[in-house]
Amino acid sequence: MGNDGKSLSDVRVIDFTGELGPYAGKMYAGLGADVIHIEPVTGNPLRNIGPFYEGIQDRERGLQFLYYNGGKRGMALDIRQEKARDIFLRLCSTADLLLESFAPGYLDSLGLSYDILSAVNPKLVQTSITPFGQFGPYADYPGCDLTCSALGGFLFLAGIDNDKPVRACDNQAYRMADAYAAVGSSIALLFAKKTGIGQFVDVSAMEATGMALENAAQYWDLEGKNRRGRGKEAGSASVHPCKDGFIAIVAIMGKNKVMWDPFVKWMQDEGVEGCEVFDDPRWIEPSYRLSAEGYETFCRVFEGFTMQNEKLALYERGQAHRVAISPVSNGKDLLENPQLKHSNFWQTIHHDNLNGEVTYPGAPYTFGNLEWRFGNPAPTLGQHSAEILRELGYEEDEINTFAKEGIIYVG
Amino acid sequence: MLANMKRALEGIVVCDFSWVGAGPITTNVLGQCGAEIIKIESTKRPDILRKGGPFKDGVAEGLERSGYFANRNPNKKCISLNMSHPKARDVAIRLIKKSDIIINNFRVGQMEKWNLGWEDVKEMNPRIIYVTMSLQGITGPHKAYMGYGVNLNALCGLTERAGMPGENPFGTGTNYTDHVMVPGHTLFGIMAALLQREQTGEGQTVAVSQLESAISMKPTDAMAYAGSGEILGPLGYGDPDAAPHGVYTTLGYRKWIAIGVFNEDEWFSLKKVMGNPEWAEDEKFSTFASRKENEAELNANIEAWTRDKYSDWLMKELLQNGVKAGVVNDSRSAIEDDHMRERGFWSYLDHPVVGSALYNRAPIMFSKTPIEMRTAAPLLGEHTKEVLTGLLEYSEEEIEQLTAEDVLT
Repeated sequence: MGNDGKSLSDVRVIDFTGELGPYAGKMYAGLGADVIHIEPVTGNPLRNIGPFYEGIQDRERGLQFLYYNGGKRGMALDIRQEKARDIFLRLCSTADLLLESFAPGYLDSLGLSYDILSAVNPKLVQTSITPFGQFGPYADYPGCDLTCSALGGFLFLAGIDNDKPVRACDNQAYRMADAYAAVGSSIALLFAKKTGIGQFVDVSAMEATGMALENAAQYWDLEGKNRRGRGKEAGSASVHPCKDGFIAIVAIMGKNKVMWDPFVKWMQDEGVEGCEVFDDPRWIEPSYRLSAEGYETFCRVFEGFTMQNEKLALYERGQAHRVAISPVSNGKDLLENPQLKHSNFWQTIHHDNLNGEVTYPGAPYTFGNLEWRFGNPAPTLGQHSAEILRELGYEEDEINTFAKEGIIYVG
Repeated sequence: MLANMKRALEGIVVCDFSWVGAGPITTNVLGQCGAEIIKIESTKRPDILRKGGPFKDGVAEGLERSGYFANRNPNKKCISLNMSHPKARDVAIRLIKKSDIIINNFRVGQMEKWNLGWEDVKEMNPRIIYVTMSLQGITGPHKAYMGYGVNLNALCGLTERAGMPGENPFGTGTNYTDHVMVPGHTLFGIMAALLQREQTGEGQTVAVSQLESAISMKPTDAMAYAGSGEILGPLGYGDPDAAPHGVYTTLGYRKWIAIGVFNEDEWFSLKKVMGNPEWAEDEKFSTFASRKENEAELNANIEAWTRDKYSDWLMKELLQNGVKAGVVNDSRSAIEDDHMRERGFWSYLDHPVVGSALYNRAPIMFSKTPIEMRTAAPLLGEHTKEVLTGLLEYSEEEIEQLTAEDVLT
């Protein structure tokens, strides 16, 4: 890969992650780094997770695998075998960053500890992404997205009163860990670039969720309260049904009458039945909005209006009145969102092997010099195994032998 | 143990105009890794989070008691600079000339109004990384739309699936995107620009769209609709690839345990910990597919087992038997959790008004460079004099003059 001046093409990343960790490598791939995804010869377990392209389950059709590994090259390697370890070490000697999500101690047990990798390549940064991190009482326990969210104090917030909490989509405990792994790695990479000294970076998904507690930990520390989520305060961060789904509204916060007035005006302009109740100073008091009477009155009048209208119309008409209302978007709404269409956010990539086009989220940011790109479709299993081995200086007959012995899979 | 180590971002200076949420969280992480963060506020325009609860002992007086503000702003130096005064710009320019990063999350046009837009700033300092954060871009039909965290959560699709089937969607209960997606991408964007600067010697702009960065970390709903026309529904506490997978009532006030079973070995272990009850041997629960089909009954049976037990004891036993389990910790329990404590996730820092108060570090640990919180959140204007005489090399007389003219308020 040449340096086009708009990418991190001089950064090489080895991404040996599975269900936990893949977005970290994707962030590098998005800015043009050479990211090599290594997976077992049996395939990354993420390949088996749905939903699938056209609803057909197949290891090349898992939409999450395709998204998180887009822009990466792929190599299938049985790391447990002696010869695979030599390949891995040779690869590490060419890399700036190794991302991996093995259980703590697993790579050590294969003779691939950070000390050994670092001896081969002193500037190598290794970032390990695991449920609980490399040390601490839970380090050796198994974890999943739900239990990480639960233990970190994050899941508890997703409910009110005595309700059981609900979970966010797309394994957010894992995604938080992925994002902070990318960030921590980049900080270590800058340090390595300046000093020549690489290091080991430890990222825990449970801990990452602790970064998302908003003010909840401080509520306990300063006021002795265990807060939960919001949602039962009329017009202040509440969700309401409408004709084709739901909308969320923040018509007021605290005692901010300046926010409330445009809402009242909007209701009047729409001729909402019963809306005269909103033109009353009691709505400026949080205690009234939190009362059963306040909440029920708000829902009765406001939902009488929203149920007649669709979410996109409510969004655009409310916003035109300077009311902070938004649709509760589903996948269809997102694809049809006018603003996202305007920015050409959605990326449609042709996949030869699927004989069709897959739609992906696009650029999260724009730069003056760097350029975000989706890159090539995610690798099919073992797609670049041979190519990468050639780059490492292996001869064709060696590569063929590796494939025959099941050390690599050549796709 | 790392006290003598060089800090990873030693020498990086940040001119921080950001306030409230995602911006201060971003600079907090940079500061914990050793960058020098100069936070610009004014008594005429304080960071409004200083008025956001909780407050020490619930007393909402003044601007120095908010824990919401504090936890996002340790290590930072705060100068008070009245940007509405024409002479304030000169002070800002001196800081910009010394800075590697300048960040704001104002509405589009505010920095330009002060003649501190990118075109101006790059003339002052061509090596600077210029960071902006818009809600959903700076052009397009919805560019001027308003939104708080709750709105953005809903708009980006996080809220829709975070609810119980048949009920209103709920969401995460927090302004989630502000804490994760937006600072995560902003930090990575900044670091990528700094890495590129090592090659080119040049600064650049980094513009983060809050909506687009949020969607990048929750791709599945839109991809599924595009890929097969399917609208993905609410998750409750379930997972399409696990059964059982849920949150189960245990003894105590609002106490639950989360359990996730992803394969037959784990199901076998769970049955063992439950004492191999008869119901669990029923054909209805013998395969993943059948457990999924009878998930409500499965969950009810498991809850009948958990409800008269302590969640922490259950967790220990399940984990030791290889079953993924975790107490649904409330804040107090997360703060008191041994694992979090042993990893040094929490710190208590002394503050002149609040006293000793709780902060959390960024969820990154480096083997050779420290990540640390050394000082509590700054008082408004606490470091004005220190920064002006030190980093910005103003004389005492000049500072007196600026103070007399109401520039440093």
